[in-house]
Parts: sequence; C-alpha cells; structure tokens
Amino acid sequence: MSVDAPPGFGFRLDRPRTMEEAFDLLARYGPRARLLAGGTDLLVQVRAGKVAPECVIDLKKIGTLRSDIVQTDSFLEIGALALLSDIAGDPRVLEFFPALAEAVATVGSIQIRNRATLPGNICNASPAADTLPALLVHEATVSLQGRSAKRTVPLSDFFLGPGRTVRHDDEIVTSVRLPLPKGREGTAFERLTRRRGVDLATINLCCRVEQSGVTRFAFGAVGPRPVVAADPSGKLAQPGLEAEERDRRIRELVKETSPISDVRASREYRAAMLLVLSRRALERALQRLGGGKGE
Amino acid sequence: MTDWIGRSAQRLGGKERVNGAQKYVGDIRMEGMLHAKMVALNCGHARIVSVDTTGARAVPGVLCILTAHDLPQPVPRFGPTAQDRPVMAVGETKFFGEPVAAVAAETEDAAREAAARVRVVHEKLPGVYTVDHALDPASPLVQDPSLRPKDPLRATNILEELSYGWGDVTSAHADAVFDNVYTFPMVTHFAIEPHVFIAAPEDGGVKVWSPIQHPFILQRTIADCLGLPLAKVRIIAPDSGGAFGGKGYPKFEPLVAFLALATGRPVRLALTLEETFQAGRRMATRVRVRSGFQKDGRIVFQDIQADCLIGAYADIGLRVVEKASYTACGPYRVPHARIHSRALLSHTTPSTAFRGFGVPQMSWAVESQMDEAALGLGMDRVAIRLANLASRGEEFIKGDLPCDGDWRESLQKAAAAIGWGTPLPKGRGRGIALGLKISATYAASYCIVRLHYDGSASLLTGTTDMGQGARTVFAQIVAQELGVPVDRVTVVMGDTAVVPYDTSTSASRSTVIMGSAVLRACGDVKEQVLKLAAELANVPEAEVSFENGIVRSAKGQASLPTLLRDYYGTTRGEVIGVGSFLKRKTPGHPLAGKTVFYELSCSAAEVVVDEETGMATISRYVTVCDVGKALNPQHVEMQDSGAAVMGLGHSLMEHIVLDEDGQIVNLGALDYRIPTIKDIPAVMESFTVENGDGPGPYGAKGVGEGGLLATAAAVGSAVREAIGTPIRDLPLTPERIWQAIQERGAGRPPVGKQARA
Amino acid sequence: MDQDAITITLSVNGVSRSLRVQASHTLLKVLRDQLGLTGTKECCSMGECGACTVLVNGRAVNSCLMLAAEADGCEITTIEGLAVDSRLTALQESFLAEGAVQCGFCIPGMVMSAQYLLDHNAHPTEEEIKEGLAGNLCRCAGYSRIIEAVRAASSGVGASTGVAAPSKDAGR
Repeated sequence: MSVDAPPGFGFRLDRPRTMEEAFDLLARYGPRARLLAGGTDLLVQVRAGKVAPECVIDLKKIGTLRSDIVQTDSFLEIGALALLSDIAGDPRVLEFFPALAEAVATVGSIQIRNRATLPGNICNASPAADTLPALLVHEATVSLQGRSAKRTVPLSDFFLGPGRTVRHDDEIVTSVRLPLPKGREGTAFERLTRRRGVDLATINLCCRVEQSGVTRFAFGAVGPRPVVAADPSGKLAQPGLEAEERDRRIRELVKETSPISDVRASREYRAAMLLVLSRRALERALQRLGGGKGE
Repeated sequence: MTDWIGRSAQRLGGKERVNGAQKYVGDIRMEGMLHAKMVALNCGHARIVSVDTTGARAVPGVLCILTAHDLPQPVPRFGPTAQDRPVMAVGETKFFGEPVAAVAAETEDAAREAAARVRVVHEKLPGVYTVDHALDPASPLVQDPSLRPKDPLRATNILEELSYGWGDVTSAHADAVFDNVYTFPMVTHFAIEPHVFIAAPEDGGVKVWSPIQHPFILQRTIADCLGLPLAKVRIIAPDSGGAFGGKGYPKFEPLVAFLALATGRPVRLALTLEETFQAGRRMATRVRVRSGFQKDGRIVFQDIQADCLIGAYADIGLRVVEKASYTACGPYRVPHARIHSRALLSHTTPSTAFRGFGVPQMSWAVESQMDEAALGLGMDRVAIRLANLASRGEEFIKGDLPCDGDWRESLQKAAAAIGWGTPLPKGRGRGIALGLKISATYAASYCIVRLHYDGSASLLTGTTDMGQGARTVFAQIVAQELGVPVDRVTVVMGDTAVVPYDTSTSASRSTVIMGSAVLRACGDVKEQVLKLAAELANVPEAEVSFENGIVRSAKGQASLPTLLRDYYGTTRGEVIGVGSFLKRKTPGHPLAGKTVFYELSCSAAEVVVDEETGMATISRYVTVCDVGKALNPQHVEMQDSGAAVMGLGHSLMEHIVLDEDGQIVNLGALDYRIPTIKDIPAVMESFTVENGDGPGPYGAKGVGEGGLLATAAAVGSAVREAIGTPIRDLPLTPERIWQAIQERGAGRPPVGKQARA
Repeated sequence: MDQDAITITLSVNGVSRSLRVQASHTLLKVLRDQLGLTGTKECCSMGECGACTVLVNGRAVNSCLMLAAEADGCEITTIEGLAVDSRLTALQESFLAEGAVQCGFCIPGMVMSAQYLLDHNAHPTEEEIKEGLAGNLCRCAGYSRIIEAVRAASSGVGASTGVAAPSKDAGR
C-alpha cells in the first residue's frame, strides 16, 4: 500500500428511489459523490485509491431508470441500467447493430457483463472502451438528465479526454439511443489484444458501410478520445478497389489518431495495426453489406 | 484384488475442493485475531529518513505498529542460502514492496487506513534494475559489503560467481561456431491464492500458519529470528492454493510472528495479489551461448555465460543459479563445456524458487541454439538432437549421475505426436525442444504409518500438497502395500508438531523420496504384522504371509481388521511403522551431491502466426515426460499439461515491467497476463514414457516441472520456422513477433533486443 | 464508522439473512467474514480472475465488485449452496472424475461459472464453454480437463462413471 494513498476509507451508500432524491444527493455532495450502476469500474478505482468518494449513489433503485431495450420507429433506446450481457444477446441489437453486439461481448468476462452497463462504460471514458467505436459509427446519442433540464448529446461530442466527459457532476445518463439503420448496411468490430483471452484492447475499431457507400470508422485506444472519421466518397465500398487506393484512403481516415506507447503496446505497433485492422474490418463490413456473415 | 498403482485414484481432498469446505490459510478465523497491513514505498530503492506513526496510531482499533527499530537489534536476518534478508527494511528499502512498517489492528479496514497514514519520509535513490546496471561498477551496491566480509566480490553486485565445466573450449576445434545472446524476463508465480500468514503466541513460543511448501524450513527460520527452540515453534501448513515455488521460502512470516508476540494475540497478514507479485518472482537471465559443432551435427563445445538477476536478497536464488548452470548444456554429450554464471543483486523483488528452477531460462538459450546450429548445418532439428543425446548409462555431466533414461524415446514420441516431418501450410511452424532438470541432491525425509485397530491407516508425512497430488499418491502406496482401500487411508500433513521431518516439497522429489520412505514405513508395518500373526497362530514367522491385506498361514487366513482385533482384543492397540530416506550432503560436490534422478521432458509445438499482427496461436502442443512409472496417470497428466500452459504464459505473454524508479508497472491482474481458458492450444496432448527405471516406488521418477522446462524453446522454434527469422527474447508477444517480421522484411539482421532482464 | 452501516436482507443459499454491513464492504467480504462462507475466494479483487464468482439472482457475477448493500433483496448462491444434503451435484462430481481439480483455489469460482453456463445452455459447445469460463483463471491445470468436466456434466455423463469416490476423504 503506497503511503501516498489518500486517507478517507469507507463511504456512505445511498439508494435513492427517484431521480429527485438522486439530484438532492448530487447537490449535497457534488464532486465527493460517485454514481454506481454496475460498479465494475468504480469499485476497482476505489480499491486502487484513484477515487475516494464520500457518498456513493446507487442508481439501481430509481424506478424511472430502465433496464430494458425499447425499439421505436426510428431508434433503439437502451435503458441506463441495461446489462451488457443482455445487450449483447438482444435479438434487435444482433439484427441492427451486429458490430455493437460483437463489441459488447468482448467487454471483460460474463461475470463483468452481468453487472456492467453502457452508461458506466461510456462515462468511465477510457479511450480503449470496447463499446465506443460501434456506438460512434452508428451515431449514438446520450440522454442526460439534470435537476432542471434534460439534454441529448451526440456520443461523438461526449468525450473530452481520458476519464473526462461533458457530463456535469449533477447529471445522470438516462439512456443511450441508436438510430435504426435506414437501409442495408454492413458493420464490423475489430480489436487487438495481447492474448486471446479476456484483455483490454491494444487498439479497437469499428467500420460501418452504408448502402450508399458512405464509410465510417471509429478508432479507440489511439488517442485521448475515440476518433471518428468518415469517407463519404463511396470509393471504399467499390468492388475491385485497388489495395493502394484503399490504403491511401484508410490512412487519410486515421490521420486524426495519435497512438501512444504504454505498457500494452508501442506507438509504432499501434499505428501499424490501425491499418491492418481497418482493412479487416472494412472487408468484413463489406461482406455483411453484401448479405454475408462477415466472419 | 485391487491394484492401486498405475490407477487414477480420485484426488484425496477433492470433495472439499469442489464444495467449498476446503480451508486454506485465508479461510481460518480465530477468536481475537488481529489484522495486519504492511507499509511499503513506491520505488525500488530509497533511504528511510524517518517514520512517523502518529497519524496511524490515532486510527481507532490500531494496537501495534512495528518498524525496524522495534525489533531486536541488530534486526534478525534470514534466508535459505544467505542470511541476508532483514525482517523489515533497515535504513534503506531494497525492493518495491519491502516493508518499512507493519500495522496490527482489530479490523482490516483499520489496518488499511492506519497503514495509509504512516508517513515515511524517504529519499529515492538510484537503483539497480537490469543486468547491465548490476555489472556497472558505477552502480550503487544493493547489499552492504559488511554482510559478506570475506567475500572478494563484496564491493560489487555480484553475489556469486560460478564456474563449471570440463575439457577445453578454447582449443577445441569446431567446423561451425554459433554465438548468440538470449534473454528471459522476470515473471511471477501468480498462484490463484495470494499469500496469507497467521501467527499466534502459544505455549511459550509461537504458532504460525502459512501455505508454505517447506514447513520445516519455516520452522527453523522463525526459531532463529525469534530466538526460540524448534520445539517451541509450531508451523501449520494447510494445503496451499497453488505455490509453484513461490511459497517455498519464508517471506513475511517472521514479521507476523513479531507482531503476534508484540500484541499477545493472533495476527493475520493477507497480502493483496499485487503485494504477492511484489513478494516473489522467477530469476531473470541474459545468457550468451557460444557453441561449436562438427559438420555432422555433433556438439564439440558449449561455452555459456549466464548473467542472472536474482533480486535484492538471495532467497534460494543462489541455489537456482547453481543447479541450472550445472545442467545448462542439457541432456547431451558435450566434449568440452565451460559454464560461467553470475548471480547478480538488484533492487527488485527477490527471486525465489519457481517451477523449473532456472532450467526454463537456460533451455530457452541452449535449445534455441540447437535450432540455430541445425539451420546453419542444414540438419533436421530432431536429427541434430538425436545425434547428441546422451544414452542410458552415459556420464554426460562429468562426475555425476549418468543418463538414467531412454531419452531418445521421449524425443521420438514427441516428434511423432506433433507430426514432425509432415508438410506444413504456410504461416505455420513447428518446434521441438528438450528440458533436463536435476532433482534433489540431498534429503532427509521421514514418515510414520499408523495401522489402526480397525485396519484403517494414517500416514504422517512432512511433504505438503499444493495441488500436485502428493497426498493421493502416498495414500495409493499405503493402499497397495497394506491392502487398505484408499478411502480408509488418511494422510496427515502440514503440522510440524505432528509430522516428522521432510527437507522440502520441491524439485519433483516427493514421489521418489518421500514415496520411498512411505514404502519403507509400510514395510516396517508389514514386518510387525507378520510377527503378530505368527504369534497368534503359534507358527514361525517364515510360515506366515501378508498380501493384499490378508494374512495367511497354514492355520488359516484373516483380514487385517480381524487379525488386529484378535491380537489386541479389548486392550486395543496399533501398529506403527517408520520409514525414511536419508541422503546426506556430499562434501566437495558442487551441488552437495549427485541427483537422485533426472527429470527429462520433451515439448513440441505447432504454431500459426498471423504475420500482419504478429499474433501467434498454438494449433497443436505435445509434452512427453519420462516418469519411470506413473503411480497415478491422471495426476501425471494434470501436472504435465498444467506446467505446459504455465510455460506458454512465459513464452507468449508474461513479463514484469519496471519503470525507472523500480516500480512494477504492470502490477496486478489487469496488466500482468497469464493464459486463460481461451489461450490454450487447440489440441494439446500429454504422453508419458514408462520404463520402470526410476529410483522411486515401483520404478517411479518425479514429475511436475518437466512440462515447462522447454516450452519457450519449442514455441520459439516453431515461431522461427513460421516467420523465417529468430527471436531471442521472451515473451513472444504479438508486438515482438511483428517487430521481428518488420526487421526481416527490411533485410535487417535480427538483433536480440536487450530486454530489461 | 457505524453511520456508514446499512441493514440488508437477502437470501443466501436459500436461507433468509438480515445483516448489518458496512457500506463500503463488498459482497465477497461479507460472505466470507460475516457469514463465514469461506468457499468463495479472494484473489485479484478487481474482477479479473473470477475466484470470487457467485450467483446473484441467478446471474454469475464477481462478488468482489459488488457492494454487499447492493445485494439487499437478492438471492445469492455460493459454492456451499450447490450441493443438496451434502451430496455433490453432477457438475461437482464431474470436476472430480475428470481430474479438473488440483490445488482447488479457483474451483469454487470455476464451478459457479460452469453452473451458470449450464443453467442457460444445457449442451454448450467447446467454444461456448470457453466463453463461459473466460473470466476464471486457473494456474495449476491446463484448463482442458475443466472443459471436459463441464462437457461431461452437460451430457449427463460424469457422476456415474469414473473410479469410485472415497467415502471418507483424508487430509486436513
């Protein structure tokens, strides 16, 4: 135990039954409060001494926060308390957002996914979070509620840096929305790890190709925030596209990434893998666009 | 008639392990137990200026805080090869995790909070963290020279320098010479059970609970540190949750014992997994191998220079360097050998025993070199090994036990199983390698068999069961010899007040050495049973026989229970047999004696490499161990395949990463990766060679370490074939393999990257 | 800090319990230290190793990442709660018969994850078994016998085959 660990062990736990009660607690404790849904990030951080909350607010008893997934005409709404294991196995997610299902299924182990939630993963804002690339290429939005106002923020505007989002301390994420695909499309998620078993991603990415040929990528673990880039030309979806042209266009898309060297990988390797995995994701996405399985 | 040998009897204690009833040290609760927490610094080397415990003492529930000042002066030091390790850091911390203070409190929460409030004013100092640092004369000294006043090396970080060999490598002529450097990083045991220790004052002495593999070593360490007679130190060693050498030698038990004496109460210290990583690791090495071969593939000379980073204190590290260096040439005929090793101190976790005991590190180098030679000479890699393998009876290490097996058989079996020589698709490679390990070179192992009045039996033995299954195998021997069914045999282990002395549970020695003692104890019981039967039947002893639990004479026959009841009547009684295996140290022998047997293993791997990402997956893996006789075939296979997967860990993904302050960067389960169920080879097979040629019961040899002696070399060899370029540093992570491919592609010769060994 | 203590009511292995727990204590700690159910193990304490796996309302979770207070109103099953009348389940017998148990420390968590898998998928493929146990680390075994044990249990083979289990197990 490092002598530099902050003092202050133990915290109070509150389990509000309404959003109002939750806002009261947030107002009282401010930055000394932490929200708890699945707890798979928070408890790890508390144990490591990275955060020392005075009050932990358990959201799971709030009646208006949903744990189900609702489909409307235009979007799929994932409730704030929906478990990742349920999301990964939901037939609608599998049908409309197979890359998201793929991605969610890689988060931790089944034990983690039986507790963890999407808002938890999003608000933790690790640049390597596996759910983010798929959510981003599908232009997901995050619904937030504060005591006096509600707002919806595109996920692509949500992140400020590692561990930092635009969420205010007194706001609670109530749902994540995914616009339903308007036509045929193909998506694929790729990640690189150090072992085949459960692991944090060295890099991860998602590719989405629409029928129109518009191609979107979102890249994770290659910068302080996930990077989203699109190629509207339709060229990447063209059959018979030359490898050189394809690579040139992909290089253009990864321009905004800034991979670093850390204990998991070097910058050089990450940069090289961006190209390799992007090609693979694109190929699988195109296969799915064509009606294939994209395996 | 039941034959208990060669039978996969179900594990003793298995039921408790699947239903949660098994009590590991961490599960023990006692009245009035206090909880301890250690205070350590966030760097590898620091000068302790002052320790302020005022804030910590103010935490409610804190009973005691110890620093080095509170211990007997000079602070007691311990260690199995050199008594260099203080119970707590004195003046300086020498590794990341060395305790500066220790708190005992009523609750874990209070202990943790108090520990966090201890203020250690300290000055970070430059540290020695790599082989190069250790060898640099400008580097600070890790150990105070006054600890080894007569040692000419005391003003260096070389704790010991060793030389073995024979012949003359400098003048020997070879057609081809190969010269390379291989590195093996620091890795840690990561048993699923973290270290937990309990100590309590008892009976004018102390009682200590520890998942220790060698209770009698712990007993004398505690006795020495606390100034108590052995008879007043009782060690309870419940079966551990995995050890692999990491729980062999005392770590913080002396500290906990002092806390118990200071508070007068039982004290429990449970290390976190992170603290457990900081407590023990494998020795890291940089090995230069210069090898001379004839055109026809025969070895002319091996010239090996091994630099071994053993850590801040010797622990058993010196013995690891000695044993592994001694057999560095492997199971081959080597006309000229020169092995020069240096045990280097560093401001890092003291390395300790770890399955394989230095052989994985050496075989990574020497077996990889065999492949290099094969390639250079245009020879098949199996053929070059066959050309040099020692034959049964051949003295391949001058002056020591000759080759004691048909080692060709293991190699050929593995080669056949992996499909050696059959066509391989592109992007795949195959590798094969041999590992040779010395077992115990001295031993004092005693056991007692008590044949109870009702014909059931108890075996008291100082061996411990850390999952390798010694308990079950010994019960099988008793069952076989006395005809008592295994479910009527109890094996008592892990209490120094009850079980007789055993040197250690290590070196794959228990089946052979303690097993022999068990056999002898059973023999002692049998002799006495014959006496009783003869007396009862009023016939000469020669006319009585005892087999499979039935006593026969001309007057009739009786089962054991009947015999005992008839003999003792309502007086009741029991028959006690004693067995031992004593092999005293041999003065003058570099290892204090010849090995009792060799453990020889062959590993073969088939690997698929994704050239774009560098990810290597094992499509097929084979281990063959030469066991003499598998007393429990299932147990043998379990040990061998378990060892193989552990070996895949250090081959593909495990390494401890330090920062410039000597802190472990990947501390804990998040970034220190071991194989998961998804990382195992697609096809894995374990085979045995059983020629009944071991010195143990029924012709057994030892097993348990073989499976990972040569894993890295086999996998490395396969990767080399797949990508067409060698890699000489472990682990073979995707990035490292990818890097090698880039360098190959760019026409750059592969340079062994100097990993931070 | 008794102000941070909470009273919870939960069912543990079918028995209703009412407890006072510290807000910051995990379910793992409360199970082991307050209820004396030491079968569930502590290893990494960060959800990476699975040694602490229990079932909460039928779902396999890492009890080290759940506050005890969150278990209020829940049904918890630990390794001690699987066997009925101290008779091992077919899955537990299978682990023994297939040689999947060595030191045993990972086994409670492994069995709980396997139980969860079989509760939802009576006949898993090898891939599904691996996926279901991906969050449980073992350092002794090579995992393949664990896979066999789950497979054998899933096809109903296991308890009735293999060598006879000793009726009185030895050792402390």
